[in-house]
Amino acid sequence: MQIAIEEMDGGVTRVILDGRLDIEGAAAVDLKMNVTAGSSQLLLLDLQKVTFLGSMGLRSLVVPAQAVRRHGGKVVAFGPAPMVEEVLKASNVDTLIPIHHELSSALAALA
Amino acid sequence: MPDGTHKAEARLSLNSRLAELTLVCPWVDRLAAEHGLPEEKVFAINLCLEEALSNVIRHGYKGAPDHSLTVDFSVNAGGELVFTIEDHAPVFNACAFPESPAPASLDEIKPGGQGIRLMRRFANSLAWEPLPHGNRLTLGFNYGAPGGEPR
Repeated sequence: MQIAIEEMDGGVTRVILDGRLDIEGAAAVDLKMNVTAGSSQLLLLDLQKVTFLGSMGLRSLVVPAQAVRRHGGKVVAFGPAPMVEEVLKASNVDTLIPIHHELSSALAALA
Repeated sequence: MPDGTHKAEARLSLNSRLAELTLVCPWVDRLAAEHGLPEEKVFAINLCLEEALSNVIRHGYKGAPDHSLTVDFSVNAGGELVFTIEDHAPVFNACAFPESPAPASLDEIKPGGQGIRLMRRFANSLAWEPLPHGNRLTLGFNYGAPGGEPR
């Protein structure tokens, strides 16, 4: 599981996740995700390259998202594959971390 | 409910450590290649097995290492793919465990509390029975859409 952080125009922090967000993948990214969330106001979770998402992986998305929301920020998810999106929807996380498939609409939601 | 008796085609034996779950995906991938399973079915099987096995390790065995659990794979008479998990943990009926209510806000989401909901959604059948010294959880998958009608 790989994680990359990119600062975009408009104060948006893009977190690019790449690989399987299973128990092992979640453990690999949790610290960096939480540190990033602690200093971000506008968080874009780029899920385009996430090939698997389990409930521990969901936790890796929800905990940082809760941290950003607690300090008044916004979080969106961008580009999940169909099965990853289904996990987000089955767990109702999509109603709280809106899913966008176009980068422009994801950025507009954060503006 | 998975129907009929059937002989296990493959068995995965695990120790009660979360690190052992890394063995599950390659095992499922091998079975998937042998049976020509579509990608989304492999995803659903991996998702449900990760949830079910991590529940046994974290809640059944309460994180204590060096207990055993097994996963048997078979195809039943109806053509359903059946994964049977057996453990020696105290009796715990995962099927009767209530789902957390749908969260109304981000702060209400219980991190890690989605496992049962996901298993019910992504497996086509889910059955539990007590054993003299443990539990048997049976997860069934057809070749169609996860949790839905065969395509």
